[in-house]
Amino acid sequence: MAISKVSALGIHHESFSFHMVLRPVGISASEGKSLRKFPVISALDWRTVVIGLAADSGCGKSTFMRRLTSVFGGVAGPPKGGNPDSNTLISDTTTVICLDDYHSLDRHGRKENGITALDPRANNFDLMYEQVKSLKEGVSVVKPVYNHVTGRIESPELIEPPKILVIEGLHPMYDPRVRELLDFSIYLDISSDVKFEWKSQVSLSLSLPSLSLSLSLSLSRSLLLWLLVWQRDMAERGHSLESIKASIAARKPDFDTYIDPQKQHADAVIEVLPTQLILDDNEGKILRVRMVMKEGVKYFDPVYLFDEGSTISWIPCGRKLTCSYPGIKLFYGPDTYYSSEVSVVEIDGEFEKLEELIYVESHLNNISTKFYGEITQQMLRHADYLGSNNGTGLFQTVIGLKIRDLFEQIQAEAASKQAITSPK
Amino acid sequence: MATTIAGVTLSTTRVVTKADSAKTQALRSPSLNHPWRRVHQFGGGHMYVGTMAATPESISEKVTESIKLAEEACAENPASGECIAAYDEVEELSAAASHARQKMKESDPLETYCSDNPETDECRTYDN
Repeated sequence: MAISKVSALGIHHESFSFHMVLRPVGISASEGKSLRKFPVISALDWRTVVIGLAADSGCGKSTFMRRLTSVFGGVAGPPKGGNPDSNTLISDTTTVICLDDYHSLDRHGRKENGITALDPRANNFDLMYEQVKSLKEGVSVVKPVYNHVTGRIESPELIEPPKILVIEGLHPMYDPRVRELLDFSIYLDISSDVKFEWKSQVSLSLSLPSLSLSLSLSLSRSLLLWLLVWQRDMAERGHSLESIKASIAARKPDFDTYIDPQKQHADAVIEVLPTQLILDDNEGKILRVRMVMKEGVKYFDPVYLFDEGSTISWIPCGRKLTCSYPGIKLFYGPDTYYSSEVSVVEIDGEFEKLEELIYVESHLNNISTKFYGEITQQMLRHADYLGSNNGTGLFQTVIGLKIRDLFEQIQAEAASKQAITSPK
Repeated sequence: MATTIAGVTLSTTRVVTKADSAKTQALRSPSLNHPWRRVHQFGGGHMYVGTMAATPESISEKVTESIKLAEEACAENPASGECIAAYDEVEELSAAASHARQKMKESDPLETYCSDNPETDECRTYDN
């Protein structure tokens, strides 16, 4: 099959290494020339950092990814000159690969066998491992492309090793070999109630009447048409709420068996739950977001409130800060999560005003910002993104900054190792 | 004028009969499933029904079709592999539809120009 041939086509970049230098890490021209005589373990002047993100919302175009690539700067888009329907996103520093591209069975194949995309039997983990390993070692790969619209596997694309490689999809931490390659892993855990609310809100916005008519029609005719379409859309909407419920329920068994257990391997889990501030909140607008951070992860210091290791429950609204209903509530404390030591930071509520956001940011510690207000600035820059006024956006931005910090620590370590081994 | 009115009536009927498919943009292009429905090109753009919900017609049609197929598969045996695989397909297609919608929302001409040419005067940003 075409896919098994693809892995054999890795291309070595040794001859190109010095043309590809974007940030030489303090090596002068003379040192660079002499370095060339010595065997180089990594052909590039940076060590590719691999991040895994487990998420159920389709690939690459998610808000999380856009916030992450924004922290590093640059605009992310599909590979230039390649398939415009590619799931891969490339920016100056980051490449985001969609793990759906490693489906071994396309939609037709899965239907025939009666299995979902969540099932590991529908995915080629051997190829995934080989290619992530190659990219981490500085070798370009030619990887398959899966088209979500047609459900078919299309002709492969060339991916060059980036500074930061993010693998996003359903199974980034499923295979133990791939897990070993990850420098940092995140699991986005959205509760079924919130999932249902989000999807039904989307279908609501879809069904709003959608006609624009030109001048030659009379007003009454246009109203009639509008009414007909609206009626049809209302019928469709009721219909689609049922199908949303049914599709969440149908996928749940496979989800719980194969996807959910990856939580225990993640270095950070972002849980999105319904709020506890309003007793009958059935609109799903106010969210309670918990960031569960594993202790003892290399290059990663968990975020804390006020005093590390203690348990804090904090309501910032009061004399200094006025908040609108239902306000904001924070929590921080140590905990155990699937038999690992973790620290949990939690935000319940919504940010109505800029000052609330900056107030909360100024009291969080270990957030790896380079200047005061960086998180607020990032959130404002993308105020139109989903979650920009609650914990989802805030914690996604924090994770982005922690990854930047992790990346810089790794590069500094790699550079100092090279400085030690380079000749004088 | 007469042709316009006749055209409108025809389109009205078309909208009603297409009640269970998605948006009405296909009024101007032949429907793949019903090739016997002729396309009437209204000269000079007299009649134009556009959609503002901005989901590409093809994807949202696929979503509705997959929902129908899933319901059929599950009517027989709700616990079968076919039923579950069918709903997984619904999920995949609706995710693709929402991505496509987002993509279409983002096609602001200034943004696309600036992403390709950030150094031009219109696109300079000052971050301090």
